[in-house]
Amino acid sequence: MEKVLETARIICRESLAPLIVRLRLHSPGISAAARAGQFVMLKVREGIDPLLRRPFSFHRIHPDKGEIEVLFRIAGRGTLALSKLGPGDPVSLIGPLGNGFELPLDRTTQIAFIAGGIGIAPLGELIAQALSGPGQTQKAHLFYGARSASELLPEDIVSQFGLRVHFATDDGSFGYKGRVTKLFEEFTARADEDFRPAEVYSCGPLAMQYHVAKWALENDALSQLSLESLMGCGIGACLGCALPAADCGPGDDQRFVHVCEDGPIFSAGSIKWNQILIQQSPPPTYLFS
Amino acid sequence: MEPNPDPTIAAPDLSVQLGPLHLKNPVMTASGTFGYGEEYASLTDLGKLGALVVKGISLLPRAGNPPPRIVETPAGMINAIGLENVGVEVFLSVKLPYLCGLDVPVIANIFGNTIEEYAGLAERLDGAPGLTAMEINVSCPNVKEGGMVFGTDPAMTAKVVEAVRRKTSLPLITKLTPNVTSIAEIARAAEGAGSDILSCINTVAAMAVDVYSKRPRLANIFGGLSGPAIRPIALRCVYEVTRAVKCPVIGIGGIASAADALEFMLIGARAVQVGTANFVDPTITAEIIEGIRLFLEAEKIAALSDFIGTLDTSCLFPFAEDACGSIEI
Ligand SMILES: Cc1cc2nc3c(=O)[nH]c(=O)nc-3n(C[C@H](O)[C@H](O)[C@H](O)COP(=O)(O)OP(=O)(O)OC[C@H]3O[C@@H](n4cnc5c(N)ncnc54)[C@H](O)[C@@H]3O)c2cc1C
Ligand SMILES: Cc1cc2nc3c(=O)[nH]c(=O)nc-3n(C[C@H](O)[C@H](O)[C@H](O)COP(=O)(O)O)c2cc1C
Ligand code: FES
Repeated sequence: MEKVLETARIICRESLAPLIVRLRLHSPGISAAARAGQFVMLKVREGIDPLLRRPFSFHRIHPDKGEIEVLFRIAGRGTLALSKLGPGDPVSLIGPLGNGFELPLDRTTQIAFIAGGIGIAPLGELIAQALSGPGQTQKAHLFYGARSASELLPEDIVSQFGLRVHFATDDGSFGYKGRVTKLFEEFTARADEDFRPAEVYSCGPLAMQYHVAKWALENDALSQLSLESLMGCGIGACLGCALPAADCGPGDDQRFVHVCEDGPIFSAGSIKWNQILIQQSPPPTYLFS
Repeated sequence: MEPNPDPTIAAPDLSVQLGPLHLKNPVMTASGTFGYGEEYASLTDLGKLGALVVKGISLLPRAGNPPPRIVETPAGMINAIGLENVGVEVFLSVKLPYLCGLDVPVIANIFGNTIEEYAGLAERLDGAPGLTAMEINVSCPNVKEGGMVFGTDPAMTAKVVEAVRRKTSLPLITKLTPNVTSIAEIARAAEGAGSDILSCINTVAAMAVDVYSKRPRLANIFGGLSGPAIRPIALRCVYEVTRAVKCPVIGIGGIASAADALEFMLIGARAVQVGTANFVDPTITAEIIEGIRLFLEAEKIAALSDFIGTLDTSCLFPFAEDACGSIEI
């Protein structure tokens, strides 16, 4: 499948939470080929500030209309500039990029979706696909957490996803108080609930993904984690988006995978978690509010 | 291409001669910013390029540095990839055959940690079908000399170039680092040791930190700055080098438009390489080639070679004659 360079037009812009924006874009070339879990490299505006494109997952894909949706959180200069665009504005996209999620062929298996913060973005399309189509819909729950209630999508939007949702916030301002992965672990262990997912799909900060990976490996569950890295090109040319691979290269003690090409979807066992060096913390939100 | 407005005027000649190397136009991709070409094949027409310089190659595959490896900074980016690459054997068996099928000259960029590694690579690559030239990246630490970067010392630079020169008759480019006191001195050493062509610059040593996490932005702490931010530094380096040597020079650093490329050629660069700008716009090289053609047409310059090196630094005082004459100002 070929990646394309396309000038998309913004059709609709909605602010869903204080720092969360949803864009609907007309991008026929990309939407025709896009799959859940893949992403685009988006140039938020012409010129050199910011210089590089930014990666964004497909939040929804509408090939019939030639449209895609992107859901993003204002996290810095680029996303702040993007949040100021509106209907009619052009943005340059390269996509679809990366490998994408694969839903289980067996529609009767139980699966879990786990989202941390803006990690809800790529799960939107995946959940829609799991719950639609012919025959039986997948038995699935969504576990969705953030630092606090203001960083979650509004409940009425999440309820439209059409599956059972379990909310968590670090500060307890909405739903379970604590890490979403802890809520997930507790729920799957409950005797009164018959939920033992054979596969987990997750997206969120690396600290969260680490706990998902650990659970998946300890419980012999399949896992598809959408991982992040800073990206220079998004197409495998700069080698900037490396993460330590679990297996070693020939005659080498460490091998790296590249998030843009080998990912962004990885299984828990393919990453050497204890070799992930520096956690880049996003800048404090007070910078943007 | 736009049709020529007046068919009686010949289209301007964009071809350039760099010593033994003839290119149909002066625009190449810079090493490490264009992969092995294939990555960009569906996004831009590789056949339009003057030449394609591939990612730096070593004798053995290299894993590269731990992440984070890149960070964006004002008008640029800092990278510490650590020269990750597939190694010369995979390059020869997989990457080069793909490029051979395209109508584009391929230049291999080579590096090593010892003089023997550079020589071994040159020997292995010499005569490889489809290879047009070699570019030596001397911005690498010499492990036998306490990790001093080859390209920061004239004698070590000369030794690398001599060792490679002995192993190949392909056109040889030496790529200079700007992280030196006198780039002209290194340039003369490389030319003297048998380099046919010089290219400059490689990235500028740099770093970035995060005040919130109180951590360096790169796991390697230091990296190399590239992109528009370094263009004025690159221009100064190319200016110094073109005046220090007789061999042709390729300008590199922050080029993102035809106007940028023309700046380098005005001061004497015979060709250019485009790096970081490929990440931003994969079609940028084609746009630059077209922009140069339009410039030559508009300025009624028949051949690019007539424009190269025409920077005028002489007549800086246009009113000097008046001042010497009757009117005193
Ligand atoms: C495959 C992929 C898919 C993504 N999908 C989405 C999405 O659907 N919605 C969304 O809101 N965000 C998504 N991101 C993250 C998004 O790309 C970054 O938030 C964005 O690049 C920040 O740009 P900025 O200019 O606003 O911030 P900058 O000023 O560049 O940086 C601000 C902060 O964000 C961090 N950051 C920058 N780029 C990234 C990155 N690529 N990954 C992680 N942290 C980063 C920096 O370390 C810094 O702390 C995705 C990232 C990847 C790799
Ligand atoms: C991600 C990245 C990787 C690079 N890898 C190499 C390399 O392998 N060998 C080399 O000689 N130069 C390498 N360079 C340097 C570029 O070829 C070029 O000299 C430099 O980036 C300046 O040009 P620019 O500002 O147009 O990017 C790399 C640059 C970047 C940004
Ligand atoms: S972002 Fe450039 S190789 Fe992945």
